[in-house]
Amino acid sequence: MLHCVNMTVLERQQARTRKCHQQDQDQDQDYQRSSLFDVFSSSITMDGYDDSSLHMPVMPPPAPAPSSSSALSRTTTSIAPRVASSLASPTLGKKRKPLTQKVVAGGGGGGEQQSENIKKDKKVKVSGGEEESSKMSEQTNKEEVASAENSKGSSEAQNHKPDYIHVRARRGQATDSHSLAERVRREKISERMKYLQDLVPGCNKITGKAGMLDEIINYVQSLQRQVEFLSMKLAAVNPRLDLNIDDLFAKEVFPACAPNFQSIGMASSSEMSNNPAAAAAYLDFSSVQQLVSCSNGLINNIGMSMNPSPDMGIRKTIAPPLSVSLPETFLDSSSCFTQALPPSIWEGEFQIQNLYNVAFDQPIRTSSFPPSHPFTGLVEASNLKMEMEMEM
Amino acid sequence: MRNQEGSSVKEEFLRKWIRGLRRYSCEKKNMSFLERKKAIKLSADLAMASTRDKTIRWSQALIANAASENVCIGSSSAPKKSSRKKKMMLMRRSRARVKSVKKEMSSARCIAKRLMEKRTRKLKNLLPGGESMEDGCLVEETLDYIQSLRDQIEVMRSLLTASQLIINPS
Repeated sequence: MLHCVNMTVLERQQARTRKCHQQDQDQDQDYQRSSLFDVFSSSITMDGYDDSSLHMPVMPPPAPAPSSSSALSRTTTSIAPRVASSLASPTLGKKRKPLTQKVVAGGGGGGEQQSENIKKDKKVKVSGGEEESSKMSEQTNKEEVASAENSKGSSEAQNHKPDYIHVRARRGQATDSHSLAERVRREKISERMKYLQDLVPGCNKITGKAGMLDEIINYVQSLQRQVEFLSMKLAAVNPRLDLNIDDLFAKEVFPACAPNFQSIGMASSSEMSNNPAAAAAYLDFSSVQQLVSCSNGLINNIGMSMNPSPDMGIRKTIAPPLSVSLPETFLDSSSCFTQALPPSIWEGEFQIQNLYNVAFDQPIRTSSFPPSHPFTGLVEASNLKMEMEMEM
Repeated sequence: MRNQEGSSVKEEFLRKWIRGLRRYSCEKKNMSFLERKKAIKLSADLAMASTRDKTIRWSQALIANAASENVCIGSSSAPKKSSRKKKMMLMRRSRARVKSVKKEMSSARCIAKRLMEKRTRKLKNLLPGGESMEDGCLVEETLDYIQSLRDQIEVMRSLLTASQLIINPS
């Protein structure tokens, strides 16, 4: 059965090659036979053909090409230079790379398969007077014979062993298992490199693995240096590695600030843009005591820190410009505090203490604030109130 | 790939990192600046690595390295230096040997090959546990590593600004 199938493909190949090429046709056919074998092995129609043609490594010179197949060859020739440049792998390209320079420059795009086919063609055509290419043609002849047999074997293997990853060898490409595996591996790598291109900034214009790798290396080094630098700064800021204060804040703060992580690096913004529900979930009630000491400071700090970004306006101006009404509302609806933004800091009995601090600091802070802030603060505080109510 | 779980990864990282730091501060009361820096960095790296699951190689390698080296923040680094020097010497010798061999091959393809090898070697050195990876795996691991590093840096930076705000109200 398979033999008949192969026969059919080969017959087709032969017919095509006969039509296609007009110069040095035998070697062309050889290449094309092996290359087209796999392409057409799936779409097979049963025809009766003799056995002998399958095993003949060298075909008789074919007839001149008709228009259709010449068009095919024309398109394939044009593809070659483009794809040739993209083939960077040294392993499979050993025979092809030197010839890429000889390929006639053409336009158009097409399958990689066809280009490789054409490379072989070109190889043959050039081989007229050159030793190198003649050697190569011999090599490719052998390769082609071997690949024809291997492709047969591989197609059988594919039929009989469904557990394996099926790789279809493309037109014009070598079909032994090693090269197939190589190709799969290379394609995997190039796919991952594309991901990396998106990840590493400034890699869009760089084509080619070497340049990309350079960029990646630089980027990784810079990231590692940043980590070092940040850890150094953290060590400088914390004289005692005492993060009890920050960490509790961080716990309640950072989990909820996912949307803001990317946009703003300021801790204050991230803290204040809490998702209230999440903040409540994370809040450790047992550690609220420790929150008091830092919360006072932090609230004041946040209030004081001037940040130009607009969405921080609300958050920033909560503490100092707070009118007395806001703390009262907090006092009134104690239950909703756990769900609201700033009240997440002011838990339970600590509310009062904080409010005292706020109230106490208020006259001091507001004076240092630009006149616009108190008004905006009031407005925004009322907005905040509404937010809280809505979220309740 | 990891975009959906980005924030949760950061939270996890932060929590673990702070836990580790707290342990450090409990063990040793007065640490020098460098010790503190090392502690911070190590706990951050370990926390980040622990957020990745077992299938990711660089994280396992990082944790294994830290465990095997028995990194003591306050201990003297003299033994480390000597081993490092030996490693450097070995590397230099091997590189010299490689270079002498490769000078014979001068075709363009060999040059390209050599460049690629150089770069992959560099990348392998950068990545924790990267020496034992092949190309495909290496690229994947690098991807993951870059993403983790970025998360780590973001969290560290936010924590830094937070602590700066606390300490310097102005």
